Amino acid sequence: MTTTAKTPDRIDAILRACRLMLRMNRARPDARKSEVLYYEMLIDYCTQLATARQQGRFVAAHTVFFPCEVLYAMDIVPMHTETTSWMTALFLGQYADLLAAGAEQGLSSEICSPHRGLAGALSIGALPRPDAVLWSNMVCDNTAKCGELLMKITGSPGFFLDRPFQRSDEEMKYFVEELRDMVAFLEAQSGLKMDWGKLSETVRHMDEQIELFREINRLREAVPSPFHPQGFLELVTVDYLFPGRPKATEYLQTLRDELATAVAEHRGAVPKERYRLMTLFMPPMYLIGFLEKLSREYGAVSATEPFFCNWGEGRLDPAKPLESVAQKSYMLPESHMFGPMSEKAIGEIVESARRYEVDGAIYYADVGCRHTCATIKLFKDALSEIDVPVLTVDCDVVDPTVTSEGEVREKLERFFELLDDRR
Amino acid sequence: RFRQANRTFPKSPEILSAKTQGQKVVGWVCTYVPEELLHAAGALPVRISGYARETDLQDGTAYFYVNNCSFARSCLQLGLRGEYEYLDGFVAGSTCDAARRLFDLWCNYVPVPFSHVMTVPRKYSERANDLYFTQVLELKKGLEEHLGVGITAQALMNSIALYNESRSLLRALNDLRKLDEPPIDGSQTMEVLNASSRMPKEAFNDCLRGLIRDLDRSKPKGKGKARIMIAGSALNNADFIQSIERIGGLVVTDELCTGTRYWADPVAVGNHQEPLKAIARRYLNNFPCARMYPSEERFQRMLHLIREFRVDGVISQTIRYCSPYSNDLPLLSDVLNQNGIPMLSLDVEYGTSGSGQILTRVQAFLEMLEARRE
Ligand code: SF4
Ligand code: SF4
Repeated sequence: MTTTAKTPDRIDAILRACRLMLRMNRARPDARKSEVLYYEMLIDYCTQLATARQQGRFVAAHTVFFPCEVLYAMDIVPMHTETTSWMTALFLGQYADLLAAGAEQGLSSEICSPHRGLAGALSIGALPRPDAVLWSNMVCDNTAKCGELLMKITGSPGFFLDRPFQRSDEEMKYFVEELRDMVAFLEAQSGLKMDWGKLSETVRHMDEQIELFREINRLREAVPSPFHPQGFLELVTVDYLFPGRPKATEYLQTLRDELATAVAEHRGAVPKERYRLMTLFMPPMYLIGFLEKLSREYGAVSATEPFFCNWGEGRLDPAKPLESVAQKSYMLPESHMFGPMSEKAIGEIVESARRYEVDGAIYYADVGCRHTCATIKLFKDALSEIDVPVLTVDCDVVDPTVTSEGEVREKLERFFELLDDRR
Repeated sequence: RFRQANRTFPKSPEILSAKTQGQKVVGWVCTYVPEELLHAAGALPVRISGYARETDLQDGTAYFYVNNCSFARSCLQLGLRGEYEYLDGFVAGSTCDAARRLFDLWCNYVPVPFSHVMTVPRKYSERANDLYFTQVLELKKGLEEHLGVGITAQALMNSIALYNESRSLLRALNDLRKLDEPPIDGSQTMEVLNASSRMPKEAFNDCLRGLIRDLDRSKPKGKGKARIMIAGSALNNADFIQSIERIGGLVVTDELCTGTRYWADPVAVGNHQEPLKAIARRYLNNFPCARMYPSEERFQRMLHLIREFRVDGVISQTIRYCSPYSNDLPLLSDVLNQNGIPMLSLDVEYGTSGSGQILTRVQAFLEMLEARRE
């Protein structure tokens, strides 16, 4: 179980794909300025990663929802493990070899494909070898359990960040101290020092960004929907990769202004909006382009994605940077998935369905993602009380062998027919 | 008596009679819920488990979806079918995804008057002990409010004594399995263990004392082809172990939450220590589940058992979609390899009794171990 770099890492290939997207965007007369900024940010991210080794910079691989704002404040290069492996599926359409490499590491096929692929990617050198592995229990068991194997595969030291399940004062205190230990670990490993002033500044930006996310959410209540059908993936990625980065603020401000103009002009993102949908969980990455096309063809928009866009209440305080980082983890839209699925949490989904006037919801049931699938029945029942039907699409977020474009098309078309019949 | 408690479970006469006599019954999931606290509140603690046999999990799957472990689906199905209708309370911990979602689904579809979920840290540290202690305090408060009782230090001390006695008896029973030719086999031990969290502790301890006395006088069961440890996800079906023993495996120990991990460590109350603090410390630092970090702690304890019980090989059974255990498998396999202990890894469903294909693999494994022994 050692690292055998059989393939050059794929960051360069992702970088090329992003550059191509950027060029195409710039060439389109109707391109959004925010989209251009988005690709510029992705390019910056990948460039940093691709040149880090050369420049002698410290690279930390970290799992999803890990507070990478702390890394930015320490001048450490972050490598978001799930996103970088998703991007391989999204931009390069390559995933099978990563899954096969994951299986070689002894991971069973029931472990979700992002994690199998990730272990595989690091083992064959498809992602650069990090100087440290950081992981947490934020979101699921696979995330909580992946770190020790990744440490073994990469031969890098690691830190597990234990984030409490609920949010009492004691739990917050525990988490803040965990974060403090993580900073100490990183300082010891990298020889770099935490720049507390920079962390405060990052927190200030994050607070501003969360407000912008909320504003964008409010603008998206408009009918017709001003936001392009799968646009929420951009929002998700912005917070996954660029929390507290000034350019992320610029992106969100630009997007907010674009949406405000569209709303004022009563201009929808698709030519003729017919179906307003709620998206529950992640659609398959390799079908994003196809889903986008299908949405335009049928006038179906994803009006809301509560688990990716509904930020919890509260403001961050730059004077208390580490406490704010801890607090943010409980405000994340996805954090509703980390804790108990209480009546309140379910109620918020129903409330979103009402507020965004959705006709139906689509539940992307990822075959490897256990804790999200265990909520399907809860949401179906809750939404059926307000007469919102839910379509379940069995899929895998990155593995294209689980469901095909044809199958998804057929399912969605039937669902649209059902929505028509109900009118 | 143990068999009867298991055969009739969940609606066993002992639980129903406690209920008729006005005692509250509180169900608990996973070994991170402190049973002594439920007992000290005057309740009868009952461990939630599923069907100890192969069965169609149609309802469990409809509510849970197919990609959650069959242990959790099986528990939920029994709940949905009213088999646990006597429960006055339901307590779980944030131990793994399946357990926490079982809590969510139970609260929604199998309503109980009192439900409570505890945050369980995943690390071993003084900070984690302190946090878990606050969770134990919260549970105490919840129980007191809902059951209308006060849980005194004396009541806690009494419960600790009773549960520690049970643990010593289980240790004594398991010590017999260290013999070359133990008087009790693995499947019989499983029956005892299943009953241990389904019967009132007082009655269980009496029966177990009697059983140990009888075993001292009984005939040994033979040596078998190889001495086996069973490891992995939750297991309640004694038939699974029996099917291994029928073909010559002698199951002498285990690393299961339904086995050794349940009784391994006593609650140690130091001088002037609050009993509740001692309970919290024991539950978080007990023989760990695969959910805890670092895994090394669990692996070292397994190696210790392997030496103590002179284990020839480990059969690891992982319930499909049990993430904590399947993520640890590559690491465990390395550790065992380095220590020269062969492991057979089986993908199973909870409740399985060992089908043809599984048995063929076990048979081949046993033969390999037998050959090594010679
Ligand atoms: S797909 Fe699901 S199981 Fe896998 S990392 Fe994401 S949340 Fe966890
Ligand atoms: S540890 Fe495994 S078997 Fe036990 S409840 Fe969790 S997923 Fe299921």
